[in-house]
Order: sequence, then C-alpha cells, then structure tokens
Amino acid sequence: MKSHFAWIALLVCGWTAAAAQGAAQAAGPFADGIRAYQNLDFDQAAALLRRAFARATSAAVSERAQGLLYLGAADLFRGRRDSAVAVFRRLVQLDPRYRPDRLVFPPEVTSVFDNVRVESRAVVLVAPPDTEISTGTGAFTFWVVASAFQTVEVTLRYQDGAPFRALYAGPMGDSLRVQWDGLDAAGQMPPVSRILLRVASRAPTGELAGIVQLPLDLRVVHIDTLPWPKPPADSQFLPERSGSRPALRALLGGVVLAGTVAVLPSVVGSDHPNGSRLVVAGAVGFAGALGYVLHRPGRPLTANIAANEALRARWRQSVAAVKAENVQRRDDVHLAVHAGEPTAIKPSAR
Amino acid sequence: MRVASLGCALAALAAGATRGGAQGLVPAGGISIVSTRVRGTNELTGTVLAGQGALALGRLELALGYVQGKIGPAGASGAGQDLVEGVALLGVRPASWLRLAVGPHARSYTLTGGTQLRWAFWELRARVSGAFVGSAGRGYVELWRALSASVNVPERFDHAQGGEAGMVVHLARAPLELRLGYRIDHAVLGGGTRLETVDAVVVGVGLSGR
Repeated sequence: MKSHFAWIALLVCGWTAAAAQGAAQAAGPFADGIRAYQNLDFDQAAALLRRAFARATSAAVSERAQGLLYLGAADLFRGRRDSAVAVFRRLVQLDPRYRPDRLVFPPEVTSVFDNVRVESRAVVLVAPPDTEISTGTGAFTFWVVASAFQTVEVTLRYQDGAPFRALYAGPMGDSLRVQWDGLDAAGQMPPVSRILLRVASRAPTGELAGIVQLPLDLRVVHIDTLPWPKPPADSQFLPERSGSRPALRALLGGVVLAGTVAVLPSVVGSDHPNGSRLVVAGAVGFAGALGYVLHRPGRPLTANIAANEALRARWRQSVAAVKAENVQRRDDVHLAVHAGEPTAIKPSAR
Repeated sequence: MRVASLGCALAALAAGATRGGAQGLVPAGGISIVSTRVRGTNELTGTVLAGQGALALGRLELALGYVQGKIGPAGASGAGQDLVEGVALLGVRPASWLRLAVGPHARSYTLTGGTQLRWAFWELRARVSGAFVGSAGRGYVELWRALSASVNVPERFDHAQGGEAGMVVHLARAPLELRLGYRIDHAVLGGGTRLETVDAVVVGVGLSGR
C-alpha cells in the first residue's frame, strides 16, 4: 500500500514538473503530445507524438530527442515496454549524450532509458564544419561521443570503403578526442578530395554494434608567397661625392674675409694702417684655400658611402628573410577539411 | 640720453629673446696675446695680454674684456708705459649669425711725456659670423661706433668707430677654439685736428660651450 502511494506521489510530482517544462515548450512540433502526456492521457499522447514525428521530419535534434523521450514514457505507461525500448533506442542513436530530467520523469522511465542506453552502444561524431590545418604539424580534431562504455575503431576510408588511415582502436568511455594530421598512412597528402571518417562500435563480445560515418571534403590550400621588398628609393641614398658648394663657400669666404681684414682700416677711416693686418688677411685667405682643397668637389664622402651601404645591406637582409619565408610557405601546404552530414549504418546493412 | 634709450631698447629686445629661447647658461672664455699699436701724438707699440669672457642665456649675452700690458715707443728699449683697457657689452642675437651689443669701453695709456690719456666710450656694436671652412672654421666681422665719449684732452670729441675681423677655428671633439683677428679703433677729435688710432693683431685660445 505504501509503495502504491509513493508511486502516485512520484507520478504527480513528475506531472507537475513536466507541466512546468511543457508550458515553456508548448510551441514545438510535439507540444500537443507532450501536453496530453502531462494530462496523463498516455494513449492520446502516444498517438499525437507519433503523428508529429511523421510530419516533423526537419525538427531540431533536441526537439526530436525530447519528443522521443515523451513517446517512450507514454508507451511505458501504456504497458508497452517493447515499444518504449525501441523508442528509447532511437533516442540514444539520435543523441547518445541525451539524459532525461530526473525531476520530470519517474525512476521507472529513467531506469528503462538507462538500460537501453547502456545496451545500445551508440556513438556520434562532433566535428567542426570547416577546418584548415597545416599538414603534418596541424591537426583536424573531432570528438567521438558514446552513450556508454564500448570499444570503437576510428578510421579514415576512401569512398569505396578501402582503408585510408587508422586513427584509434580501443575502449572509450563517455567521449574520445581524436586528431588527424592531414596525411595518409604513408605520411603523404591525401590523393583524393573526399574521404570518410568512420567510427565502428563493438560489443564486448566483439560483435559490431553500429557504424557512424562522416564524409570529409578535402581541399589542398597553397599559401601565397610574399612579394620581395622594394629596393630603397634614390631619395633615401645620401650623396657619395661632395658637391661644389662647401668648397666654393670656403674659397669665397676666405677671400671676402681676408679682403675685409685688409680694408678694415679704410672702413673705419684710418689712413696709416698697420701692415701686420696683412698677416692676418693672409692666414684667413690660406684657411679658405685649405678649406677648398679639403672640400673639393667630387671628394668621396666616406660617412655617406657607409650609410648607403648599410641601407643596401638592410634591404638585402630583408630580401633574404622574405626568400626564406617563401621557401617555408611553399613547403607548408594547408588542407581545408569540410565535414558533411553524419550517417549511421546498421550492422546488418554493412 | 641716446645711450640710455639704446640700452633700454636692447634690454627689452634681449628680455623678449631670452623668454623665447630659454635655455641654460652657456659660458665662454679665453686669453689672447695682442700685438698693439697706438698712434696719436705718439706712436706706441707693445704686446699685451688680454682676457675675455662671455655668458649667454638663450639669445642674451653678456661679454667682458680686459687688456693690460706695457707699450712704448717703437724700437725703444725699456719697460714702457701701462696700457689698460676694459669693455663690458650686453648683447642679443636676433639671428644665429648676428649679434647686436651695447656697453661701455674704457682705455687708459700714458704718453711718452707722462700724460695719461683716459678714454671712455659708449659703443654700439654689430657682429656677423658664419662658418666658411666646413663647420669648424668660422669667420667674423664686427663694426662699432661710439655713441658718446669722454676724453681728458682739450679737443672736443668728434666721433670714434672701429672694427674687428678674423676667424675662429673650433677643434674637433673639444670645446677649444683658436682665434686670429685684426682690430682697429679710430677716434677723431677737434674736427680732425687730433686723430687717435689703436690697432692690434689678436692671437688667442678659448673655451666655448656653444
């Protein structure tokens, strides 16, 4: 008697929680069936949900999973356990990670679902839709998610099913992270543009439990090489030979200054100038002439020559760096991987 | 009055220039050997020692000069008579190649008869300079004119003017500079009845922070 009351209490609690959850999801394609389930009209719920599944072929995975769970629960409460198990098996194959809300569904439903999940050994592949990897050094990474502990073989195959490369074989629990470096078993680039990523699940007895296959479209991407840096513009180079201006300035400056010294007494009005001023004028004139020789036109300007050579050396260095980078880019081939839609293959169809 | 006005104008110009190009004090100084000839009623010659210094603040410059030595009649032996000369100038550089300055200039020397002549001028000077041998060899020309003068002679002061020209060679990688120049002062008194000329060859070495 006590267990009977407990069962009723659990059912009422589940109904209440399901009502709250269903209120938020009443707009989905399975809303009518869920509402019927919440009203404890399990026959009506099963009928409505089956009808909805027949119509809503394009529903989202999460909505379909939820619909299957309610359908399985409805079948269970209708006393059709085999049908419920079949529905739950469909749910596990659709999404092995799906777990019923234990506040919404009573233990009778969740325990049946858990048994089905463990026995089904379903897997799904979670891969990025588009990836570009550097072959050999990069990796195309994907996840294998399982409904329960099982043994899997993860392989890449040609479209005709011939093996291309084995990636993993062994046991796995909840999930498994697998990487592919973009090369075949011989370490070469794939010779085809499409391969299949296949995960085969095996029962502990070694019997094949299921296969999930994901087509991968491959495209070889060659990275553009860099253009060579432009050589320095003529305006960046300093003159390597002296011009005539410094020499002329020295010569003319010396002449003018020497002349000024010589005529300075006349300028200030003195009529008996000192002859020693001519010594000064001569020295200044000599300095001007010496300046002309030192700065004669066409004289090599070593500092400018060195600066120009350093400029050319920097350019040659940058060209060499670009060449090395281009060699590396030519060797660094990328592979673009596009993941298609996964398909599940039943063992009997293999 | 004219000297005072010019001094005020120059000080105002210098003050404005200093505010515009404010920077630290830049000192300079040097010593020179000056071969001097004084020609007036007598002709006296001699080699005297000179010292000069300057302090620049931005475009403002204060320059001081002092000369002291013995001069005597040309070709005569003996110790000679004292020659003392001093100058103080307050200047401003409106451009890097131009300096305008004003200040007192005093000179005292003794004639062969024992008469001591004392000259005091207020001078206005203009000096242009520029590099002509690379950046190390700079030439300069300076002209001045006395704005007023006080002389202890009976003749009335008429006018006085002078000039200096030469070159300064800056030694590479050192603040040292060598100077060679020729300068001359010429004063006219009594409407030309008395002429006084002092000219000299200057050979010096100095330190410059510029």
